[in-house]
This record gives sequence, C-alpha cells and structure tokens, in this order.
Amino acid sequence: MSAEIKIEHLNQYYGKKQALKEVDLTIQQGMFGLLGRNGAGKTTLMKVLATLLPKSDGRITVCGIPVEDSARIRKMTGYLPQDFSMYPNMSVYEAMDYLGVLSGLSTAERRKRIPYLLEKVNLQNDRKTKVKALSGGMKRRLGIAQAILHNPRILIVDEPTAGLDPEERVRFRNLLCEIAEERIVILSTHIVGDIEATCEQIAVLNNGEILYQGTVSGLIEMADGKVYTAQISRHELPQLKERYIVTSMLTLGNNVMIRFIAEKKPFASAESCDAGVEDAYMYLMNGEGSEA
Amino acid sequence: MFGHLFIKECKQTAKSMIYWLIILILLIFFNSQLGSMEFAEKPEPGQEDYGMVAGGDEQATMEATLGYLVSEYRSGSFTTYPIGFYKTVKPSQKELKRIHEIVTETTGLSTDQEIDDAMTAAQGDSQIVYGSSPVKPKDGLTFERFCALMEETDDMLGGGSNYSKESLKTNAKTPMTYEQALQQYNDLTEKDHFTGAYARLFSDYMGIMLGILPVFLAATRGMRDRRSRMQALIASRKASSAVIIFSRYFSMIVMLMLPVLLISCIPLSECIKAAGGGIRLDYLAFVKYSVGWLMPTAMISTAVGMVLTELTDTALGVLVQLIWWFLSVFSSMSAMHGGIYGWDLVPRHNTPFNYEGFHAGFSQLAANRALYAGISILLAAVTVWIYSLKRKGRLDIRGKLFGNRKREHKA
Repeated sequence: MSAEIKIEHLNQYYGKKQALKEVDLTIQQGMFGLLGRNGAGKTTLMKVLATLLPKSDGRITVCGIPVEDSARIRKMTGYLPQDFSMYPNMSVYEAMDYLGVLSGLSTAERRKRIPYLLEKVNLQNDRKTKVKALSGGMKRRLGIAQAILHNPRILIVDEPTAGLDPEERVRFRNLLCEIAEERIVILSTHIVGDIEATCEQIAVLNNGEILYQGTVSGLIEMADGKVYTAQISRHELPQLKERYIVTSMLTLGNNVMIRFIAEKKPFASAESCDAGVEDAYMYLMNGEGSEA
Repeated sequence: MFGHLFIKECKQTAKSMIYWLIILILLIFFNSQLGSMEFAEKPEPGQEDYGMVAGGDEQATMEATLGYLVSEYRSGSFTTYPIGFYKTVKPSQKELKRIHEIVTETTGLSTDQEIDDAMTAAQGDSQIVYGSSPVKPKDGLTFERFCALMEETDDMLGGGSNYSKESLKTNAKTPMTYEQALQQYNDLTEKDHFTGAYARLFSDYMGIMLGILPVFLAATRGMRDRRSRMQALIASRKASSAVIIFSRYFSMIVMLMLPVLLISCIPLSECIKAAGGGIRLDYLAFVKYSVGWLMPTAMISTAVGMVLTELTDTALGVLVQLIWWFLSVFSSMSAMHGGIYGWDLVPRHNTPFNYEGFHAGFSQLAANRALYAGISILLAAVTVWIYSLKRKGRLDIRGKLFGNRKREHKA
C-alpha cells in the first residue's frame, strides 16, 4: 500500500460557492505544509481528507484507499480540528480513554498508549486535571495526543498553533516534527513561521486554487534576487508601500528599515538580501510581484 | 467496543447534573404520591362502606351517561379517544342540533335554561364536581332506544366518546357489596399476589414522570458534543455510528431504570411488611412491571429526545415530548381506574384493585407497550442514520436553521 495521499481534480462547492478548484496534490510521508490565507479553502480540504465532508467532484486516495471508504480511512487517520475541545468535566486521562475506546483500542492498549502519549506532550502531571482547567496550549497538546492515540498513518492538523504563545508554538512545532518521522502529517496554517520551521514539502492555497506545490527551498528560489532592504525616512514609507510589497519594517527614530520585494534594484540605497519563506510567500500571493 | 463505550456512557450519565436532578424529581414525586402507602385490608361483613365499583344497572348507566351528555352538550365540546388518543371534538351546528334533539328525547330537557337547572340540581351543594353528575332519563325511555341514540351520538363524534358501547359499561359507579369487596380482595391476594397490584400502582405514578423526564437527559446528551466542541473529534473516529448512538441510548435507558428499580424496593418492602403471612407474594412483581410497563415509556421519551436533538441540534425534542406527554396524561385521566389502556403513552391504573380490568385490558396494554418499545428502537435507528449523515457532512439542519453553515465550514 503506497504511503501517500493523492488528490486529483478536486472541486468542492458550498451551494454555488466554489471552495476548492481543480486541486491536484500528492502528499508523501513526512511533514507537509498547507499554507494560505484565512478563507483560502484549507479547512475544507482538511475536512474532506478526514472524511467529515463529502467531496463534490474529483478523486482522492489515501494510501491507495478511496476517500469514500470512510470506515477504513478513519482507522488510519488522526485529526486535530482548528476549533475543538473535549467534555469539560472529564479529566485529561478520561478524555483520552473515551476517545481511545471510540478508536477501537483495547483496555490494554489504552493503558499503554495514554501514559506514553501524555508524557510525549508533557501532560503526564496533568492526567487528573479537568479539561476545563487546561490552558490553550495544554489543550492543543492534548489535541495532538488524542489525534495520534491510535497510531494513525496519517495525521491532519488544522491551524494547530493559532492562539499559542511563542514558547508553546515552538514546543508544538518540535512535537509535530517528531511525530512526522513515521507518518504523513499535513499541517494547515496561515502562519508562515510554522511552515518554515517544520515542513520541507508545501502547497500554497489561495481562493481554493493551488498556487504552488513543491519544496520550501523551491518557493524561496522564486523570490531570490528580488528581496531588498533599505533605510528610508518615515515620510517616504507610504509611497514605497504603494509601489512595492513590504514584508517587514523596523522603526529607527525618524527612519524606517524596510524589507521589500522588487523585480530589480529600485534605488541606489536598496541592498539585495537573501529571501526568506515569508518573502517568497508574499511574492507568490501578490501575483509574483505587483509592480515590482 | 460497544461494551466499553456503554460503560463509559453510563459513567458520563452518572456524572451529569441533569441525571441527578431527574433522580431527585423521581424521589420527590414518589414520596408525595406513594410515600405513605395504604394497603388494602380484608373486608369484614357489616362494614359501612366498601367503596364504589364501575358499572351498574340500566337506570344507573343511563343517568350517568346522560350526565356526561348534557354537560358536554352545554360546553359545546366533547372528549373522545378515537384510537386511544385524546381528542376534543367540536360538532358542527347541524350535529349540535341533532345532539340537542337527542338530549331532549332522552332527558325531556329542551332549553338551555332547563339543562342548566337540571345540572345544578344534580350537583346539589357540591362546588367541585368530578366527571359528571347524573341526570334522570325521560319517563318511558327504553334502554334499547337509549343505546341506539348513544350509538348515533358516538358515531357523530367519530367514536371513542363517553357514549360508545364500551363506555356505557363503565360510566355508572355503584356502591360495592361485601361479596364484591371480598372478591376484589381475593383477586388482590390470590391472582395479583399482593405485590402485583401495588407494582401496577407504582407503575401508574412513575410512568407519569418517565413520560417526560428522560427527554431532558437525551437532549442534553445529544447537545453535549456540540457544546463541548467535540463533534469533529468523535466523528473522525473509527467507531461506527450505530455503536456510538446505541451505546448512548441503552446507557441512558439503563441509568434511568436503575433509580426506578431501586425506588421500587421501598414499596416492595412495605408490601412484604403489610402482607404478613398467608399470602403468596410475587417478589419480582416490581421488576416485571418496571421493565414491562415503565421501560417502554422511558425508551420512547429518550428516543424522541435523541432523534430530534440529533436532527436539529436544538432542544426541539423536549418541546415535542412535553406536548405529547401533556396531551397523554390529560387524556388518560378518564381511564385512571385502569383497564382501558388504549395507545396512551402513559397508561393509567391508579388503584391497587380492578384486577379484572387489568386482565381484560392486558392484551391491549401489551400491544401498547410493545408498540412504543418498537417505535423507540426504530427512532434510535433513525438517529443512527442522521448521525451517520452528519458525520460525513451530508446533513446540517442547524446550519440551515441558524445560517451558520458558512461559519462552520470556513476554511
């Protein structure tokens, strides 16, 4: 059985609105990042893959199994939705145990897997804590633990770092990388930093269409030689913003240090610099450089 | 998987506030209605009063039935049970005119004033009148003619009225003789083994509560997944929809019947104490009646709550069940003495006596209970189907109702 997810000509409609347009993707083992703005169609794609939404048109196979065979797909898939929680009055262990039963794990398997996973997500000391008493970050970690409880071959995580503080975010990214060593992990996010830190293979989704699929370095290459930095006075900034895609800026008294994208060197004081994922993403999302 | 999930669902139910509230209400209701149970004693010859018995001679039957007729005619509204369910019939002007002719022919009363005067006279000084007060038939009215006119009235009302052949037999209430009272007591101890009679009385009262309380448990359980934002986590699991729904359903039934069975130990122990020696008791009577009589009520109430909550993700089931329960309890009030069970959600038998009535109506009661048990399993199966569609994203009534489909599916 091939360890890959193959999506061909996927179209998805909500009434007349088309949420996904002719999506073609092949996802191999390891971390796969799905990047896009809010409303790009990422959650829709995740739900279709998790068999929680029927596809309107196209063909999807998960490790060779058609996505319509929801019973078999669910056996091999772990899903962490964007907006989730658990029964508030259950303790962390009870919630895991309940979901373990729903995943068909035996008592012995649950007794072995749950403490192991709680330790892995650093919740071993909170096994008796009620779900309602968990912080956002702890809940997310519990979420990932429940998603891999039945040791799935595929893990789908939708916007997992939204609302986490920087420390929790780093911890969460590392956890995902560990998990991805032996399975396919699809990480959907609008946060470029998450992708940069974890994924090699990515796809960029915009208005339901795939704008890019390939490696992170391939994406960066698209913006190579098009990223510049310059120190300008503050009153020049609005004019520059109109002409170029400004990816970052730092105020220095009356001046501003900006980082922007341009097809060729725009003025003498601008200095070329190495492109990052965020620069490349902005370049791609703005039609591969507007006026630039 | 089913067994483990069933136990987990039982534990969840045991931890829910609504469950303990239901138990509290059951206890309060039991205590208020059956807390100080009075047990029948063997009648002695020469007692002043042995109670009343349904039925009587032709004269008593006519008087009681005509009492109902003039009373309902004056109110312009007739109570019927065409297929066992309560229905209020308001006859057309033409039908009312004919009923007026029947009233005149049977009682001699021709004007509204005469009817009102007759009713007032029949009620005497009593300010509160239960059912209807007897009205004297017109001189010369034969019982055959009376029966024919009542049959005509019943047909006009669509059947199941106080004027049907069956109702005529029970409309009159007559004082019981010593022999009848002794026979009744012997039925209680020999045929009912004493406990059977009180188990029926217990079922009569507890059935009222089990007709409505389980729907609250089912509705809160059904909405808990959405409120806890746990729907997607459960929906994406391996467990089949049938296993998830039926484990929830059966756990709720078991957890609802558990306190009922425990509470039934109180009247059972009192029965044992009151019976003394010499009576062969049926120690399992309360279990038999709880399972056979009460469980179908709990099952259907739970199933209605489940199916409508799953379909709409709202508490609509509570409203529907509340209306059904109210109509059923209200309609069965005229059959409180037992024996007439029809298709009522809450069959009544508000007496430890009337074993004969119970025996005569047993097949109807059994059919009634089997029907509700069957429908409830069917509704649970429909819930499985609805849940399965929702899991696959093929059904979203709530989204359509509240227009949040876009929000829920935002990407």
